[in-house]
Amino acid sequence: MSRAHKPTLICISICIFALLSGTSLAQSGKAPSVTFASVPLVTAPRTAQTMVNLNFRVASGFHINSNTPKSEFLIPTNLKMDLPTDIVLGKIKYPPGQDLSFPFSPDEALNVYTGDFTIAVAVHPLHSVVPGKYVMHGVLRFQACDNAQCFPPKNLPVSFDVKVVKEPPGPRHNPAQSPHVHN
Amino acid sequence: MPEEIRPLCPNCKMPLEKSLEELNREAARTGTAQCGACGAQFHLSDIEGGQLAIEPAVAGPASVPARQGGRNPFALVVVAIIATGMLYFGFSMSRRSGPTHPLGMAHGTPAPDFTLDSLDGQSMRLSDLRGKAVLLNFWATWCGPCKIEMPWFIELQKQYGPQGLQIVGVAMDDSSKEDIAKFAKEMGVNYPVLLGKEAVGDAYGGVPALPESFFIGRDGKIVDKIIGLKGRAEIEESIRKALDTQAGANSSAALAAPQAQN
Repeated sequence: MSRAHKPTLICISICIFALLSGTSLAQSGKAPSVTFASVPLVTAPRTAQTMVNLNFRVASGFHINSNTPKSEFLIPTNLKMDLPTDIVLGKIKYPPGQDLSFPFSPDEALNVYTGDFTIAVAVHPLHSVVPGKYVMHGVLRFQACDNAQCFPPKNLPVSFDVKVVKEPPGPRHNPAQSPHVHN
Repeated sequence: MPEEIRPLCPNCKMPLEKSLEELNREAARTGTAQCGACGAQFHLSDIEGGQLAIEPAVAGPASVPARQGGRNPFALVVVAIIATGMLYFGFSMSRRSGPTHPLGMAHGTPAPDFTLDSLDGQSMRLSDLRGKAVLLNFWATWCGPCKIEMPWFIELQKQYGPQGLQIVGVAMDDSSKEDIAKFAKEMGVNYPVLLGKEAVGDAYGGVPALPESFFIGRDGKIVDKIIGLKGRAEIEESIRKALDTQAGANSSAALAAPQAQN
């Protein structure tokens, strides 16, 4: 291959790459995306409840049903965590959805999540848990739509690390004084 | 042995492959010398204190930056514009959908045949509808836009049914048969609703989003396709296209193969 032709070939390669990228970008853009932001290491003392915020983002132009959609036929967004041994995962707290009307539902507002939303999970290590690092796994199930079409439900894997530490020492009390016994 | 003097290329700053002496010989013979690394051609005009004074062989705008040792910014801008244009072109071509640019299923191809159970417990085979124009609508109970189309379909079935239109709904969700039946009853659906299967969806291009409707002519061939919620007028236009087709002698064969696994 002539060296003089190298820049031309590079330019052609860039153009072909751009064309293919555009195509795949558009095709991937057809599928809704909900992304999960990684959670910094959570320190959770034993016997105490620690709230962990899980941050999600719905891609622009899409919406997903809230945890409490208004119709029984709509699929709610639902986080299901695997239950690890001795670490109790308490209540999962969902944010309230927004009531929004869409072109396909002008008279009936839907309760949805758009953009960023946060689901809080309570982590409660029992006294028996050996201090150390644990990985919590779960799945966010959601069903997304845009203004003209809906996409089948999807499962988004979710995980975060929890560092279980010993419970903080309780308040110090003076040891009880032995009563003097006077005989 | 004295150390060879290898001047640097003023374009790419790489040491030239040939020694100063060789370059001068080449210049004396051909008038120019070429950098082996970047291919730039130069005139060798003078030697002063072991330094080559090298001038680009080709004058003009494209050669000026070479003297400065960088890429031609004009060329880079042109490449960037072309790349951006092609990116946009690829993006827009892939985003286009609808009746004129169906994704997955081409117009004129035989509609894949299938047999599915309907809500009333009967089996229905698509090829049994030969001779009729069929609107095959993939939908789901969780699909809001699908819900908008249903009243239109109900009216269109009434309006065009006597002319040979048969609308067929294929429910593509995981809900129970009872839930789907309840939904269809609430909507007042007056056409058969079948319990969809993934294999049937795959046969029709995967049905990645709902609603998705295929308009099948009387000859069993796909005449149009609509992805997503469009206007009633567009649906009606596609119905007319399907009704305008002639039932071919081999319409049965067109629909019958291949049978979607279900």
